Amino acid sequence: MAHPEPAGEEEEHHGSPWPVIIAVGMGVGYVGIVSASVPMLLVGVVIFGGGAGGWIHQDMQEPSSAFYGLATSVESRFPRVSARKLGTWLFLATEIMFFSAIIGSSFTLRLRTGTPGLATFQGPWATPGQILNVPLTGLNTFILICSSLTMVEALSAIERDDKVKHRFYLLATLLLGITFLSIQAFEYQHLYFGEGLTFTHAPLGSAVNPLYGPTFYAQTGVHGSHVTAGVLALAYVTRKAFKGGFTKENHEAIELVGLYWHFVDVVWIFLFTIVYLV
Amino acid sequence: MAETAVATQAPAIGETLRRRPYIPVFVTLAVVTALELAITTPGYFPVLEHTFRIVLLVIMSTIKASLVVAYYMHLRYEPRWLALIPLAGLALVAVLVAALTATVAH
Repeated sequence: MAHPEPAGEEEEHHGSPWPVIIAVGMGVGYVGIVSASVPMLLVGVVIFGGGAGGWIHQDMQEPSSAFYGLATSVESRFPRVSARKLGTWLFLATEIMFFSAIIGSSFTLRLRTGTPGLATFQGPWATPGQILNVPLTGLNTFILICSSLTMVEALSAIERDDKVKHRFYLLATLLLGITFLSIQAFEYQHLYFGEGLTFTHAPLGSAVNPLYGPTFYAQTGVHGSHVTAGVLALAYVTRKAFKGGFTKENHEAIELVGLYWHFVDVVWIFLFTIVYLV
Repeated sequence: MAETAVATQAPAIGETLRRRPYIPVFVTLAVVTALELAITTPGYFPVLEHTFRIVLLVIMSTIKASLVVAYYMHLRYEPRWLALIPLAGLALVAVLVAALTATVAH
């Protein structure tokens, strides 16, 4: 038998239609973005939202060990690493390349258009603290580091079967993530409307390179969208934790969401240095 | 087959119960972040030359990221072959950096 069934289960579920529906929604949405079709984008968002909602609803109704049979059969080929953890690491490897492309292209633009003497020179790059609020972002960096600690403590607590601490640390991580996003939203609002750092222009009268704004928003915005996805994932696992959804034996989702959350922290460690300090 | 798979998983579950240095790593991350802010604040450490300051910042960021990956993402406690996956991503990043450096130098 390809997928052994856990004892005591009458019927084993190996599949769910919702991930496929989510993928279709994302596909339709991307086509909408590429073809600049707002109706198609909205249709994609609706399909995506319905798929995500259906999947979460299904997971809340059934034990999340539904895929254990499939997972363990793959585990035998990759000792001590489950199929889901392996998949998460592969996903993170693609994310490394994605962020490298964004940061690399921004830094190239900085060197090619912000270096006096080059034919492509369009104005100097802003110096650290000239436009951006470095102390505030330093505080935000500290908040993200704190959230990494609470996330790993949440995992450690459920491994010890301490559900009270597990829920407390998950909730703390969620709140710290929301705080990070709130500070970033405040920073964007201040920079865009207060300082005049837009997608096309540097602050008036500053003589700063006009590419400074778009590269800043591209790098920090892409990271912020990843933090948003992480906060949504944290909200999901936190709700499930408060409903008693995780046990000492069954908590892999916490570890996988944690991997993603720590990765987002790692990206920010480099972004903070490159965008704010250099 | 399922029994074999579960048996190979057992040491990993037992290992996770071992006390890990989460707090010392957190303190190190916070201290290094404070140092980063200090060496880039005007008036602090004015003797540091600009290029040297950038090299210091890159080293400190790398230390911080390595600590998070090793201890918080548990890569230090995983089978060694798993590290090949992020390393493969970093290898492609090295190719990208080389190509971009050539573009800038051109």
